[in-house]
Amino acid sequence: MSQFLLVLVSGVAGGAVYGLIGLGLVIIYRATDVVNFAMASLATLGLYVAVSLRDRGVATVLGVLAAITITVVAGLLVRETVIRPLGQGQLFSALVLTMGVSLVAESAAGSIWGDQPKAFPSLVEGTVRWSGAALPAQSLLTIAVAAVAMALVGYLFGRTTLGSAMRAVAESADTARVVGLGAQRLARIAWALGLGLAALGACLYAPRAGLVPTMLSAPLFRAFAGIFLGGLTSMYGAVIGGLTVGVLDNLAANYVSASLRDTFVFSFTVLVLLVRPQGMFGTRTFQRV
Amino acid sequence: MLRRTSRFRRTAGAVAVLAAVALTAGACAGQDSAEAGSGQQSSIRIGAWIPLTGAVAAYGVPQKAGADAYFKMLNAQGGINGRKVDWTVKDNAFDPQQTVQIARQLIGQDKVVAIVNANGTAQAEAAFPFVLTQSKVPIVDEQGGSESWYRPPRPGLFGTQTLYEDQAAAVAAWAVQDGAKKILVVHSDPAAFVNVAKQVEPVAKKVDPSVVVDRLAVKFQTTDYTPVVSKVKAEKPDAVILILTSPEAAAYLKEARLQGLAQATYGYAPVAAESTIALAKNAAEGLKAVQLVKAPSDAEPAVQEFRTAMAKYEPGQDAGFLALWGWSNAKVFAQIVKTIKGPVTSAAITEAYEKATAVDPGVSPVMRFGANDHLGTRSVQRVVVKKGVWVSSGDFYTPPARD
Repeated sequence: MSQFLLVLVSGVAGGAVYGLIGLGLVIIYRATDVVNFAMASLATLGLYVAVSLRDRGVATVLGVLAAITITVVAGLLVRETVIRPLGQGQLFSALVLTMGVSLVAESAAGSIWGDQPKAFPSLVEGTVRWSGAALPAQSLLTIAVAAVAMALVGYLFGRTTLGSAMRAVAESADTARVVGLGAQRLARIAWALGLGLAALGACLYAPRAGLVPTMLSAPLFRAFAGIFLGGLTSMYGAVIGGLTVGVLDNLAANYVSASLRDTFVFSFTVLVLLVRPQGMFGTRTFQRV
Repeated sequence: MLRRTSRFRRTAGAVAVLAAVALTAGACAGQDSAEAGSGQQSSIRIGAWIPLTGAVAAYGVPQKAGADAYFKMLNAQGGINGRKVDWTVKDNAFDPQQTVQIARQLIGQDKVVAIVNANGTAQAEAAFPFVLTQSKVPIVDEQGGSESWYRPPRPGLFGTQTLYEDQAAAVAAWAVQDGAKKILVVHSDPAAFVNVAKQVEPVAKKVDPSVVVDRLAVKFQTTDYTPVVSKVKAEKPDAVILILTSPEAAAYLKEARLQGLAQATYGYAPVAAESTIALAKNAAEGLKAVQLVKAPSDAEPAVQEFRTAMAKYEPGQDAGFLALWGWSNAKVFAQIVKTIKGPVTSAAITEAYEKATAVDPGVSPVMRFGANDHLGTRSVQRVVVKKGVWVSSGDFYTPPARD
């Protein structure tokens, strides 16, 4: 029982990170039609800044805030200088550009901070004993922080005027403009929010893995699996998809095979998509021929 | 008319200058080429391909720094038999195709007489046909390699790296000698790791036939070791052997500490890296592993010389294991080339390696080559993490022969 609890908590913590990154991807995609592959690499830049600040004696929490700020600013710069000039509806061009930005960001991180792995500090140390299992405090904190962040995003989109405006732009940018909503301003807010969530997820994930320029490639990959599983257009889907991937991944590693964990997760995702191509919570779109 | 004459003079002057430059350059090039071919050059030109950018740069950059420090120190002391060493390193980004192009540049344009201290197994293999077969240029002291490189020996290919299989054998023997009766090998799932992990059982049983060895395959680049450590805990082994990369080993150690796993843990050379301690911190304490060189913190004069040279010639670089390994390979090359009487040509280097029966670089095992033995050593250095630092444990150790 304690082993199951341990594996479950670890899976939920991992899934919470995938959910945060996936949520960021979906928010940006819905607001601007851009699948932002650069998100993870930009968040990695933020992590390196946080580690540099830590090395200069700055508190870890302040470093995390700096990481989020740097990621958001870098992301907005990318949007304004590279993505926005493309114009609306350039899905594939934007996709390739974000891939390029991702490679540039990874290369820059390697050049500035070197390629040797660096440790990223845990926000909390130690374990919490529960039902005979020693649960890592960092995993519990990850779950709590991710839950609060997701709840705040839910509140923003469900209960505030800004959230309503962002949903309106997501439905139709042209209609939103006609009724007086500033599409570009809302797009910038969506990018900032998405990148901030990704950076938060990265800060929660980093203590587990060593900090190298390509550190977030695997979580980004799993976040994509989560949003396709949950539905590319659904914010709830991104969260639940990410959590599902994290939990299944760990359960498969423990009860099936530690080397077939990805195979198990992605086989499950393919099966779900065969039954529901739009994902668990996505909406099916139809186009006239 | 006057203007036309003036223009003609300028043009003629320019042509004359260009012709003179071309003739001088041609003469120099011809001279260089002739010198390189005959081995009468004032310097010994050698080259290497090393990943200085990309995912594997973390290994290539310190390796280059260590060898650079050695060659700079050597040149400052007068070089090899009065000849300076001119080591040209090109970044192959760990790409085999790029490595072939680099090999063509090094041999065709830079006129190197040997490839020394290059990096990458598949990368070198891609260049073998051009370098070894076509150009007859030796590849020596390569970082990487496999058993097939040396059985049977290939003309011009000489290695200084104890094979991963022998590293696993050495770790297995160490665990059994420490009293382990049940060993669990935790390894990454790509074939390169599986093959190494498979070497543990036969050697462990050779040391003690009653030993039980199991293997647990883990997805490559796993960061969440919670389920893996849970499985290890359930198996209740006496010792765990990690055939993982350094970040993976660090993730394992951190999780093992969280779950209160107290079994003795061993690793092969990739685990014995500074990054394992940097990432795992206290969880790495007591970790045992094998290395190809002595611990860089050792007080021995040969290691002290390395640290001094690194501080002087490569001040921005860490004087760690990888740098010491690069240093050691450079030193082995220099000691062998020093025995050459006459021109230092590709053929002379190959011949000198075949006759090098006892090369002692001080920081790594004594290398013994022969006409039919192109791999210099099977030995390793046992190292242990004590107070956050890798320290050597005993002298170099040769594991039991593998079947």
